[in-house]
Order: sequence, then structure tokens, then C-alpha cells
Amino acid sequence: MQLARIVGQAISSTYHRSLQGWRLLVAQPLDKNHRPDGEPLLVIDYLGASTGSVVIISNDGQGARELVGDNNSPVRWFVLGLRD
Amino acid sequence: MRIAQVIGTVTLSRPHPTLLAGRFLIAVPASLRALSSKSDADGEEVIVWDDLGAGFGSWIGISEGVEATMPFRPARKPLDAYCACILDHIHLDLPTVREVLP
Repeated sequence: MQLARIVGQAISSTYHRSLQGWRLLVAQPLDKNHRPDGEPLLVIDYLGASTGSVVIISNDGQGARELVGDNNSPVRWFVLGLRD
Repeated sequence: MRIAQVIGTVTLSRPHPTLLAGRFLIAVPASLRALSSKSDADGEEVIVWDDLGAGFGSWIGISEGVEATMPFRPARKPLDAYCACILDHIHLDLPTVREVLP
């Protein structure tokens, strides 16, 4: 799990079937000093995270596959929680 | 999934048997600075298995690690990067980006 800042959204019309209907957000992982840590990631979101908010993202593939309900899904990162 | 730009393809001459029917892209992941300044991607190239038919210069989402092999389960392929989506549009909120970038 890691802190990340939602910096935007991505729109795709050609994707693996397991991504059907999922919001694709662009999240920039942050280090403990809230500075960028690595490249921005595409994360799926069902909590309705808004642009600019700080969230917790998880890279647990098993959890992501259960979330999308497809054991063949290549998805990995997803929004786990919104930070108040 | 990292956001990457397709710059080319790779043709394998003597691949592992499970990789025979594959289409392989050369994709360069992008940092937030590159994405927000609309310049070319600046990461280190990655060879990506592509089922979706991404063209040159298109932006894609690459799934890496064991998740790259999940679409083929129960069959197994020695892959670590898979093109999970072709991005039509990436919208970045520039005020937020300015806050995040040093």
C-alpha cells in the first residue's frame, strides 16, 4: 500500500475485458515527504476519488482481481482508501 | 499499470514456445514531468506483449509483474509486461501536477 495523489484521469476504449466500466485514474505515488516516488500509475477506482485528493493505493493483484471479479485480469493497482 | 508510449515492435526469431504467436511492442514509460509537459516519454524501454494492436506513438497502460501473465492463465507464459489498455486521452489536472512536482 502507498500514498498517492490523484493527478488526472485516463480514457480508454480498447482494453482488457476485465477493465470494462472501471474508472481509470492517474495516480502519482508519493514518498513520506509527499514528493513524487516513481512514475505515475493507472489505478482503478470504485470509491469515487476526486482529482487532487490524496489516496491510499494497493498493488495486491489478488485483491484487484477479486475487485474486478475476473481471475484473468491484468489489473494490479487500485484505490484502497481516501485519506481525510 | 504504468503509462507508456509505443516506439516500436520486436520480432522474435527463436522464442520460448509459448511466445510464438506474440506481438511485442517497445514501450517507454513516462514520468509525471514528461506527461504533463506533453514531451516524449523518458523512462527505460520495456518489451510488452500486445493483444490489442497498439500502433506506433500511441499511449498504453502496461501491467507488470505476475499480473502480466494472468490473462493467459491457466496457460503460463514467461512475461512480465502486458498491454492492458490503449489510452485515447490522458487528462491531467495541471494545478495538482504543479503542486506535486518539485
